[in-house]
Amino acid sequence: MSDHISGPRAIADPVIDITDVYAFPCPESARHLILVMNVFPYAGPSATFSDAVIYRLRVRSVSIAPGARAFAVAAEEDVFECTFNGVPPAQEGRCRLPNGEVLAFRVSDERRGSTGGVQLFAGQRSDPFFLDGPMAERTIVTRQLAFKEVGSDRLYGKNVLSIVLRIEWASMLKGGPMFAVVGETLSAGKRPVRLERVGRPEIKNVTLSAKMFDPVNRDLEIRDIYNEEDAFNLSKHYVGAYRARLNANLAFYDGLDGKVDWPLDQHGNHPLTELLLADFLVVDASKPFSETSYFEIEQALLEGRGHATCGGRWLNQDLVDFLLTLYVNAGKGPRIRDGVDAPIAWSSKVFPYMAPPNRPDASAP
Amino acid sequence: MMLDRPLTDGAIALLNLDAQIDALELEGRFTHATVEARAGLVELIVLRGLVLGQIADYDRAEEIAEQLVRDAPTDATAWVARARTRAVFHRFNDALADLNRAERLSLDVETANGERAAIFQALGRYDEALALRYDAVVRRESFENVAALVGLHAERSEMDAAERRYAQSLNLHRGVSPFPLALLDFQLGLMWMDEGRPEDARRSFEAAQRRVPAYAPAQGHLAEVEAELGETNSALVRLYSLAASSDDPDYAAQLAHILGEAGWGDESRHWGRLAAARYEELLASRPEAFADHAAEFWLAAGADPDKALRWAKMNLDVRDTPRSRSLLAQAVAKCGTQQPSRKGPAPCSSARWSTS
Repeated sequence: MSDHISGPRAIADPVIDITDVYAFPCPESARHLILVMNVFPYAGPSATFSDAVIYRLRVRSVSIAPGARAFAVAAEEDVFECTFNGVPPAQEGRCRLPNGEVLAFRVSDERRGSTGGVQLFAGQRSDPFFLDGPMAERTIVTRQLAFKEVGSDRLYGKNVLSIVLRIEWASMLKGGPMFAVVGETLSAGKRPVRLERVGRPEIKNVTLSAKMFDPVNRDLEIRDIYNEEDAFNLSKHYVGAYRARLNANLAFYDGLDGKVDWPLDQHGNHPLTELLLADFLVVDASKPFSETSYFEIEQALLEGRGHATCGGRWLNQDLVDFLLTLYVNAGKGPRIRDGVDAPIAWSSKVFPYMAPPNRPDASAP
Repeated sequence: MMLDRPLTDGAIALLNLDAQIDALELEGRFTHATVEARAGLVELIVLRGLVLGQIADYDRAEEIAEQLVRDAPTDATAWVARARTRAVFHRFNDALADLNRAERLSLDVETANGERAAIFQALGRYDEALALRYDAVVRRESFENVAALVGLHAERSEMDAAERRYAQSLNLHRGVSPFPLALLDFQLGLMWMDEGRPEDARRSFEAAQRRVPAYAPAQGHLAEVEAELGETNSALVRLYSLAASSDDPDYAAQLAHILGEAGWGDESRHWGRLAAARYEELLASRPEAFADHAAEFWLAAGADPDKALRWAKMNLDVRDTPRSRSLLAQAVAKCGTQQPSRKGPAPCSSARWSTS
């Protein structure tokens, strides 16, 4: 499930559990970039942002490294830090912007929450992610594609807590127009500790969590260690463990159709491994909004061509079908479907984009 | 010892616990929730019961766990969930049997031993519990594994060790949820009470209550400490709201006791009657679970040593801990019997509020 329930710490306290991060050019205005961070999977009606957590989005300018199939990420970054206090219905928040300004807002208030160059919404929304999670797990257990023609979406009708930022990117962000985006939750206080981080979808769950194929750490729950890492500066102590896990699991997915579409190099590295280790969304704010452009910039980089779209990630893309097809046949074969093609409610192309929260009794289809 | 970073406000944490439970309850009602999700729901409801002192939550958790075992008899997770609810209601042998079953179905050793250690501790089998807990810490020095030692050392009256492990737990704690730390403070508070150090107990219970203001058992014990220190009014203020809102008779029993000691006889009898009726009701359906607290009640405000003795004996049958033995000794003493014995009732009678 995208990044829902992605490790023991997130399971223990959903208020720190980032379910998804999205980044896309504003559908209504080329001057704006939209960043979304969702937390709290399966949020019931009383779900509330923690007053002890910093909800942070980090943005760095990024370019294609010359002569390498990798991104060159700027050292400087722009940070949006949201904190909350009080309890509903009067929970309030503050977002510290990269220019030092503080944007005060009220949770669930769609009308207020803007300052020069930034508009913000925070509150409960419909979870836009969809997939057949049990069949994804079954695929790993049985080592065969287990998806059905019509799947069952356990996220159908579920809600999350969302933070949506609409940013005038040219004035608010350094560099560009291509940006790397990471969402994080950290404990507040004098020395914040990173609790969760998310860049790309389905890295920790679909791609990293299975242990059985890993030749190095077959009994290691790797996700909490991974969560603690700085996405832009991985610790050299653990990167070997992440690489081994990714190589093994990506090779497993590649083999599900009985043929090899992603030949490993002489060191046993999967062609996607290094790109996925750079675990951030890459979005080109100068390109027009696109609904299905996730990973297009990365694919272009792998193929040695210029990218054609904004990349990033839009709320409504059928991410699981895309990923399965990418991992299993590199997009060279038939589309691999999980049998779930839509959420309960499509997101809108108007701020705050995320569909309103579902009623508690919204039932599964 | 202070934590160097904030935790989620206790009221927010409780709202979020409700939010998790509500969403998972709905999930179970409308779809075929996974075994893991339902087992997770059991755990969350037990936690809420523990924090709010709500017996209805334990009942609900048990109901879900029983159904889970019926629906997924080949899944170890289901048996572990049921073992937890059985342990909550002091059905320790049944809980151990469930764990054995889960282990045969592929439950990993670490989880099985963690669950077993908690039951051994409740049964007073401290050496076995300690061996398993130390083994877990050697394997993985996590907050959960080290924190589990705090309560165990506390029950063994090993104060230095308990305090040392408490400090170590704080250093290992990474999240922002206030519940684990509030539960830890509470365990230290119980230790200080047992050791006759009410000021230290007050400090620990207050710490627990600061982390989670609605933490009912912490409030109840804080009231007990305050009463012991002569701060009767403060104790009564705490207990009135607990006794009125909780379905656990302990608070009404405590209130009756403190009111009685303060000379408020009529009101004491009112709360005593309420407590007695509720204990009778609970003992009729779950004698093992409430035998100890019922015995304490009838030894104190309930003033029925016959009943106290009967339930103290049963409690000792359920678990042979220092506290159980002490409770039986008190009951025997109250009845005028010389030797604590598990056989035969003691000859005494002075029932005032019996409802049976």
